[in-house]
Amino acid sequence: MSFRPVKRPNSAILDGHRPLLQSLERRGLIRGGLSLGALSLLTGCDMTRPQSVEEALLAISRMNDSVQAWLFDPNKLAPTYPASMVLNPPKFNAYYDVMDVKSVDGSNWRLELAGLIAEKRPWTLPQINALPQQSEIIKHICVEGWDYIGQWSGVLLRTFLERVGADLNAKYVVFKTADDYPSSIDMATALHPQTLLATQYANATLADPFGYPLRLRMSTKLGYKNPKWITAIEVTNTYQDGYWEKLGFPWFAGL
Amino acid sequence: MIQFPQATNGASPGHRMPLARQLTTAVLLFLLQGATVSAQSPTPGGAPPPPGMSLAASAAMRFPQPIQVGDLLQRIVIEPVESQSYLGKLEQIVRQSDGSLAALITLDGFLGFGARLVAVPVDALVLLGNVVEVVAFTPAQLRQLPSVVPGTTTPVSLNEIIKVGLAKPSH
Repeated sequence: MSFRPVKRPNSAILDGHRPLLQSLERRGLIRGGLSLGALSLLTGCDMTRPQSVEEALLAISRMNDSVQAWLFDPNKLAPTYPASMVLNPPKFNAYYDVMDVKSVDGSNWRLELAGLIAEKRPWTLPQINALPQQSEIIKHICVEGWDYIGQWSGVLLRTFLERVGADLNAKYVVFKTADDYPSSIDMATALHPQTLLATQYANATLADPFGYPLRLRMSTKLGYKNPKWITAIEVTNTYQDGYWEKLGFPWFAGL
Repeated sequence: MIQFPQATNGASPGHRMPLARQLTTAVLLFLLQGATVSAQSPTPGGAPPPPGMSLAASAAMRFPQPIQVGDLLQRIVIEPVESQSYLGKLEQIVRQSDGSLAALITLDGFLGFGARLVAVPVDALVLLGNVVEVVAFTPAQLRQLPSVVPGTTTPVSLNEIIKVGLAKPSH
């Protein structure tokens, strides 16, 4: 049985990456080595993939990131939902179990700023809560396949970046967290009108397991791109891997 | 999600890649997606309480969250394993004679026949999004619990707020 798609992908999308693909073929990766990697991925077996195959897969992932960034519409809003559909409490998820969550003391907490930002003084929680607030009911979609609808409130990341004099032409916004879960996003998504620094869920202060006192919520990226317990924000032109990116996950992770 | 753009007028026949190469690239993208799914959550959630720890102490470590009793009813109850095996449905929250709370869960049965109610301490349950997991009893232990006779329990008001712990997905 042969695989024949009804509608073929447009090959023009790959033109910009033709040298990369030709380079991969020259090294015989696609024809040879990748078959082993493909088999291990399909079966879920813990087979060791050659380093060259890992590099090839990551190169494809970076290409995919570029395509997604190119397709991203900074003004297009994700669907929103009625309050009756909000799951409360929300679903907990992290790379560790809930019993290992370390609560953050909001009274001592400070949001540190770094990089291409004019005013780098740390922010307290009351200062952040005094900024203009926005609420949105959006869907959280996990790479694992589950989702839920949640109501998040806080200050728009765009508003915050403007207030601190961040360079909005920079490429990346990087987050550091109390649970050592670094993450970075593109500036276009940071400025999206549904990208929030959230301090509330369902009109109540964020509970500890969901990122108190401050977390990121974006309607346009997969769940793992939304760090909780944020402690620092950096604006930069230097790419930095996040927790899952270091393990091979896609960086852009758009929806 | 991986998105394949629709064909546009920008593709000229002279630049068209061989089908085999196109498919190879498509397969690579597909496989990469598969790799990410399998890599999430390296540690399982829903682990049972450590030996010697009381149910209440264990539940307190799971950041119990307030939830209205009415919002819990009819939620699916699953086993905290990767396959998320179905155990039953949460029918009612009741107050036991010692004042503690228990959930009445339907067990077993087929197509609505043969099911029976058992009472499971709320402290043995966790919320996993919109489903409930039993973390302190194995399915075999659940099936050894005595059946609850309808009408012999004290239901908790649907408007009452109780607290239930959390877990991360068990995969």
